[in-house]
Amino acid sequence: MNETTLDLVRRYNYADFTPENFEPWMRFAESPAAGETGADFPLWCAETGSESSLAKLWAEPQYLVVEFGSFT
Amino acid sequence: MDAAAERFAGQSIASIFLYTHEAHPGEHYPHLTSMEQKARHAAALRDVYGLQRPIWLDSLDGAAHRAYGSMPNMTWIFNRRGVVQYKAAWTDVTSVVEALQHLLEIKKQRKERSTLAPFPIQRLDYRPVDREAFYRGLARNGPKAVDDFNRAFPPP
Repeated sequence: MNETTLDLVRRYNYADFTPENFEPWMRFAESPAAGETGADFPLWCAETGSESSLAKLWAEPQYLVVEFGSFT
Repeated sequence: MDAAAERFAGQSIASIFLYTHEAHPGEHYPHLTSMEQKARHAAALRDVYGLQRPIWLDSLDGAAHRAYGSMPNMTWIFNRRGVVQYKAAWTDVTSVVEALQHLLEIKKQRKERSTLAPFPIQRLDYRPVDREAFYRGLARNGPKAVDDFNRAFPPP
């Protein structure tokens, strides 16, 4: 990882829940609108580590429900 | 959400959990520094909460999460061409089930050869808030998570 990516990783994975740390990331209003095609990204299976992508996952069923979140 | 996923699974509707970053890091579950740690935290989520849906990990810099608005617990529904059918800034199972029922009804009408034109809609929705459960979750993350939250949002 280069320094720019490392800095992004550090800022995105903030250590402290403070408004200065979490508010800059919350940009729901700027996200793709209903009716637009979503962007594709690589994803990794939590169980096996195998790589897939959001587009591969949404291409299989009629609809794909994606809940974003974490343990905390 | 697992029950809803199971309910609709037979109707060609798949459901996944996309693991992002730690919204409320604490001593027990600190901020992420590696994909290995992310996989461990995802396993904890599965084990502690009994999550049944497949868990997929976003990249460590949260590329997918950031592109879709970075809210801590949002839900999106895509069709098989990747077109956004539903997006909610917060996950509420009642809202998601209503959306899926609506999508299935649209599918049925299309089969009956109805002419349908899409249009966007915005609606303010409401979800139940269980403050005690939320604080239990913060405490499980570690005392720091509780302190940070109380500093950011002081209790009344």
